[in-house]
Amino acid sequence: MIATLFYNPVSLPADALLWLLPPLCLAVAIVYKTIRTQNIRRLWLDTALLFLYMMGGLAALMVVGYMLVR
Amino acid sequence: MKSQGDNVANSIVAMMLAWIIPGAGHIFLGRWVRGVVIFITIGATFWSGVALGGVLTVDHRNARWWFVAQMLTGVHGIVGFYNQKQVYQTMPAVPNDAELDAMLQEKGIALADNPTDSIARAYTGVAGMLNVLCIMDALLLGLMGVQGEARLGAKPGEDTEPLEPDDTAAQAPPIQLPAASDGAPPEGSS
Repeated sequence: MIATLFYNPVSLPADALLWLLPPLCLAVAIVYKTIRTQNIRRLWLDTALLFLYMMGGLAALMVVGYMLVR
Repeated sequence: MKSQGDNVANSIVAMMLAWIIPGAGHIFLGRWVRGVVIFITIGATFWSGVALGGVLTVDHRNARWWFVAQMLTGVHGIVGFYNQKQVYQTMPAVPNDAELDAMLQEKGIALADNPTDSIARAYTGVAGMLNVLCIMDALLLGLMGVQGEARLGAKPGEDTEPLEPDDTAAQAPPIQLPAASDGAPPEGSS
């Protein structure tokens, strides 16, 4: 099962691909804040804030793109 | 106090470790929590990409620039490269790449024309680029002589050993209370 998972591509519908973007943004936010944050105790709060900023920015871009296409 | 030469040597070791095992550079510099978080996050991102795209997500033949980014994840990229090399070695010899790609597609291994190819390579490539950030951070921290978590407000080069508030309380000398006397007033009181 695991060998197949890392061997064959997963078939996903095209509209499901968009949902793979938030985990990637979360990974970027975690690594960036792990490096940049001064106080390690604030890591998860800073990461959550950056992730929300990124999601907000992407949502704004999506709205702008939608308006342009319409 | 460490010499400049020690800092340079430490930074080079930290940089190499950070490339080979993501997060190891930070662990070498005493930043355990950050190192573990980096190791888990970069590993999870890379292997999520490989799980999505299959063994040929790491493919030096068809996706050379992605391959360069993937190799920046160190051991993860090397394992991925080894796996895809095994796939190519098991294929019979064919005169051209197009036939080879057709065979791989028949076997369901090839990523070509699969909608997950771009997102799978993005996951693995971004993991590599994130590790570049970690490598550079480990290099700079090593050059600055940082060891352990830096104290808030500490200047570069100052002692940066971990200093937890609880530890501070534990290290403080015990408060000397005046010895209990037999009802005699303390010194200086009227």
